[in-house]
Amino acid sequence: MNKHLRIVILGAAFGLPAAAMAQAPSAPVKSVTIKFGQPAPADFEAKNFVGDSAASAVVLYDFGSTRFRLNGLRFQLESDRVTRIKVLKKSGYDVATVEVPLYHQGQAEEKLTSLRGFTYNEAGGKIEKVKLDAGTTFAEERTKNVRIRKFTLPNVREGAVIEYAYTVSSDFLFNFQDWSFQREIPTRWSEFQATIPEYFDYKMVMQGYEPLALQTQEQVSAQYTAHESGGIAMSGERTSASSETIMARATSYHWAMQNVPALRDEPYMTTMRDYVARLNFELAGQRMPGQTYQNVTGSWPKINADLRASDMFGGQLGRVGFLAEALKPLIAQYPDPATRAAAVRQLIMQAVKYDGTNGYSASGPLRRSYELHRGTAADVNLLLIAALREAGLPAEPVLLSTRSHGRVNQFFPLLEQFNYVVGVLPLDEKQELLLDATDPLLPCGLLPTRCLSQVGRLVPSKEGEGRWVNLTPAQRHLHFQDIKLTLDAQGNLSGQVREEHGGYAAAPVREKLLSVGEKKYLTELAGRHSGWEVPTYKFSAINDPAKTLSLSYELRQAASTTSSAQELYINPLAAFVEAQNPFRDEKRKYPVDFGSLRQDVLVLTLTLPAGYAAELPKPTTLTLPDNGGRYLYSATSPTPGTVQFVSRLTLDKPVYGAEEYGSLREFYRLALAKQAEALVLRKQ
Amino acid sequence: MFLTILAALLLAGPPAPKYPVEAIAPALRENAHAVVRAYDEVVTVKSASQLVKSVHQVVTILGPGAGDEYGVLSVAYDDLDRLNYLRGAVYDAQGHLLHQLRPAEVHDQGLGSSGGSFMTDLRVRYADLRQPTLPYTVEFDYEITSNNTLFYPNWQPQSDENIALESATLQVTTPTTLPLRFEEQLLPAGAATAPTVAGSQTTYRWQLAARPAVEAEPLAPPLSELLPAVHLAPATFEVQGYAGSLDSWQNLGLWTYQLGKGRDVLPPALTAKMAQLLITDPDPRARARKVYEYLQSSTRYVSVQLGLGGWQTAPAQAVATGGYGDCKALSNYTCALLRAAGLPAYVALVGAGADHADVRAGFPSSQFNHAILCMPLAARGSTPADTVWLECTSQTEAFGYMGSFTGNRHALLLTPEGGRLVATPRYGAQANRQQRRTDLWLDATGNAKATVRTQRVGLAQDRYAQLLHGADPDEQKKYVANRLHLNHFTITSLRLTAPAASTPALPSVVEQLGLDLPNVATTAGRRLLVEPNLLGRLAALPAQVGPRQAPLALPAASLTQDTVRLHLPTGFKAENLPQPVQLTSAYGTYTSTCTTLPDGTLQYVRQLETRRPAGGTTLPATKYSEYQDFSRKINQADHAQVVLVANGA
Repeated sequence: MNKHLRIVILGAAFGLPAAAMAQAPSAPVKSVTIKFGQPAPADFEAKNFVGDSAASAVVLYDFGSTRFRLNGLRFQLESDRVTRIKVLKKSGYDVATVEVPLYHQGQAEEKLTSLRGFTYNEAGGKIEKVKLDAGTTFAEERTKNVRIRKFTLPNVREGAVIEYAYTVSSDFLFNFQDWSFQREIPTRWSEFQATIPEYFDYKMVMQGYEPLALQTQEQVSAQYTAHESGGIAMSGERTSASSETIMARATSYHWAMQNVPALRDEPYMTTMRDYVARLNFELAGQRMPGQTYQNVTGSWPKINADLRASDMFGGQLGRVGFLAEALKPLIAQYPDPATRAAAVRQLIMQAVKYDGTNGYSASGPLRRSYELHRGTAADVNLLLIAALREAGLPAEPVLLSTRSHGRVNQFFPLLEQFNYVVGVLPLDEKQELLLDATDPLLPCGLLPTRCLSQVGRLVPSKEGEGRWVNLTPAQRHLHFQDIKLTLDAQGNLSGQVREEHGGYAAAPVREKLLSVGEKKYLTELAGRHSGWEVPTYKFSAINDPAKTLSLSYELRQAASTTSSAQELYINPLAAFVEAQNPFRDEKRKYPVDFGSLRQDVLVLTLTLPAGYAAELPKPTTLTLPDNGGRYLYSATSPTPGTVQFVSRLTLDKPVYGAEEYGSLREFYRLALAKQAEALVLRKQ
Repeated sequence: MFLTILAALLLAGPPAPKYPVEAIAPALRENAHAVVRAYDEVVTVKSASQLVKSVHQVVTILGPGAGDEYGVLSVAYDDLDRLNYLRGAVYDAQGHLLHQLRPAEVHDQGLGSSGGSFMTDLRVRYADLRQPTLPYTVEFDYEITSNNTLFYPNWQPQSDENIALESATLQVTTPTTLPLRFEEQLLPAGAATAPTVAGSQTTYRWQLAARPAVEAEPLAPPLSELLPAVHLAPATFEVQGYAGSLDSWQNLGLWTYQLGKGRDVLPPALTAKMAQLLITDPDPRARARKVYEYLQSSTRYVSVQLGLGGWQTAPAQAVATGGYGDCKALSNYTCALLRAAGLPAYVALVGAGADHADVRAGFPSSQFNHAILCMPLAARGSTPADTVWLECTSQTEAFGYMGSFTGNRHALLLTPEGGRLVATPRYGAQANRQQRRTDLWLDATGNAKATVRTQRVGLAQDRYAQLLHGADPDEQKKYVANRLHLNHFTITSLRLTAPAASTPALPSVVEQLGLDLPNVATTAGRRLLVEPNLLGRLAALPAQVGPRQAPLALPAASLTQDTVRLHLPTGFKAENLPQPVQLTSAYGTYTSTCTTLPDGTLQYVRQLETRRPAGGTTLPATKYSEYQDFSRKINQADHAQVVLVANGA
């Protein structure tokens, strides 16, 4: 059975009718519990781990719970974690080293407390218990706002069971930690609880490919005690310390997964984050006692209004008067919107370099980035949008999530899902131009591959919902080769090759060419084939991304044997096509995500040695189900003494589901087999 | 007065352009992605325990790739260092100032767990001055005060390919009482200036000018060994109150040995446990093996590098309690275990890593990154004396095996009398071998099933041993699949095992592989074409472009044997078989034969033994074409084809 991606929308603390809440599965599941500090004899019986022979370690129990408490008069998040892991092999020792990232900003910091841990080893029928020495933990300032607390459990051996527990308190209510049920090792039981008082509205999103074993929620009443410390009031009066307990309604949630398989990396994936079984929390709003509801995110019109008002987003879009002078000649020279947009983009690319940091909010005033000649993706692209508007083109920002940041859930108006912004310019009723100025190697209208994550969200310049924008590019990943070869009676090959890289195929080649140079590029190309010599070559449009990148070269290959035979078997296509099926695994669990459509075309004309005739291979047409793609192969003899091969592989989907994997792999196998077929030449 | 100021203001005008691109000589732009305009390093030795290094570096970026390397500056430092300042500026092609680096644009980051450390105080400060328009010129200035004088900086202003050098200087000023030690590497004539003495200080100077860009070549030593450099080291030094002398390997060894003094005390119960082995295992080798097994089953590698802890071992007691430590701590601990078991051994420092250059033996200095253990075994009865080397950070390594990580090089033994540079085990072709037997059952349509048994011994098994012990079955399959050069296949079974070593201290790994190979043979009418050397083809060497510059560095000697049994489909027979091939050169011997066995099965046998001709690990550049010719002939022979034809065709 094929598993499909589950994105389940779970009930929010309030605001959603009860009927919308997902139901717990029918078969009741027995909760797993452990006694911290007490080893379970069953964890040391080999028979309980027979099924885990492939794993280096197994998470026996992973429990998290998050609740709210008052620290003074402010609410805090307090999260407990208890983890128990069985180490099966030496390669699993790494699980004993744990890193906990703690965020801090200004005076506020996340704190780790009550750290304790044990290692249990079986020795001579008895279970030895060794305690984690809390003095051997380390703290490292990883970056300006992130401190890492690290510890490692002692005496870890094959067969050991380790366990640790700690509490993290946090003032950052927006930083409600996600819960991952899945890791790179199998998990027997993973459980998460959250008790959220009526004051807070969190959106909860479940993702991944694994089912929940347990899911409940109940209304409870909670108590929160506010403490006020004593001091001297403004009036000069002494106030005494006081405390007050408030009662609140709260919802207690409970989720668990059982026997979760290890998470596996596969080729052509976006990011593991998209595939892991995980529960995400997002603060949507809050209603403090005696106050009205304060929407933190909530709806697209609200998000859009906030963004427009934001000093680092909408606030920057109207402040590029400093570009007016530079734009003036472009406006005069290019009346056509698409051409003008390309010219404006060129101007921005020459002025500001993308520093590799992604974001949708400017890092500072756009003018500063312009003067610095460097900026984040947001700086560069907001500057582009502002410049387009200044040049009279009604460009709008489109928020998106890069492939490494993960898929966007369209059910939720959540700003945190995005990490990038590009521009969109409507050209006419049917066409719009997507614009990005971070990569000078791409032509205008092509988004960088990192942006190809299916959909983005347009933020309109006036009030309104905005809309989803399809990011799947019309431009393909295009590779074309026109090859003319001559074979002599001794088996020597010589000829001309013209190779073109278009659409998404061009930028990586341009990048490589610019970094290694033409000569080295050619040396590598020739080096991949035994006996190839490339006496002359010529590249064109290396520095002009608007044009197709092409390479022409002359090719010579001496025969591997000197004897001239009655029959020659040659394999003319082999050197010009993919040598290996890109899909080596038999099975696939997650979708194959190429990002863009692809086409690979090869036309090879072979002139035969005099006096030889060819036995032509049969033509073939292969198709993928559901119009997913086609492969065409033909060998013809347009004139006596020549053979023309045409090989055309087309993939018409940017993403293939896991259930299509088998046919995709077979499609490639058959295409490769056809390309490998030998041509038989007979002496007349 | 007023006039003078005005005149001065007028004269000041706009700042003069700095480092305009047009000032670069055309010869330096040739093949260059960047040109180092200036690299000026000033080292001031303040005392035996402190030195200050300041660097002024100016680089013009010509190609986009070079900006990532040279448009960004990263300076690493740790708790023993203080970074005094980091300044920067960037200029356009004409040399006009584009931007002056502001303090807020300098970032600082901990290196965390990168590089396998659990905890390290190593941090990096970095600044990014890359520009959208090429060319441009970046200028960086920084200064570090280091309280770790065990290491003096090295100077190699040109170290990458496609980077030209316009000018570079090195100046070292040291109290005359603390003489500088240095080793010059491939310096052109005139690069060094005689030292000058002023008062109590002596100053040494070197300079390099106008060096065009170079390109890395295949099968060559790393460029760092082929370009000019000056290596520096102290004669005497002091780190955190530990004074030492570096004028000889003996003294470096002595300092390190003393740093670990008193840190080898085991808990009494453990000492007693080891002493018990003296009774149960009278044979020293067997006893040492027991101790090593105990180590491997009860400890793991966890690296903590803080301050002096980067060089000083953690106490053996701490390893006994926590069951973990870094290479120094685990070697020190094992040394203590062995001693308790009546087996004297020495910790040895080594430059570990398959690509790590061997110690520059003539220049005693801290060139090591790892610690291992060396245990001499006296002759006993008919057993001759022997030396056993132990890797103490691995829980799976074979007893006495060093492999490509620490073998075939020199290590510094730390003895109470001081350091001694000795050779670690040598591994020749027999200790780097692979034997493979393939059975291929072909059907009439060109599809096949195959079973492959590959035994790898010694260096050849190093990565497979890691795969066997460190990876789960899925990862093993992925690794093996990525190394099968076949256009389509399905792995039907894979099993890795480590049979008991037949030769002492020479581990082996056996890989048993089942394959489905659709279309492995090409159909051509009624014929089937198949290359019997399915898995053991030697990759073609890249063609030489232009005259070879770099010496030829050959891979380690190896022995590869392949036997392929080709089981023909019913009704088929071989129409022609490849001719036997025999190739002999200074670099090795190659043979391949293909014969028909009595039952009609075809048997292909191939053997390649490579060696390094006498004369060290590198050979003159002129030998490249000879070597390339040899490997090209092998590559050609490896593609030998069998033509099968249906009976009666």
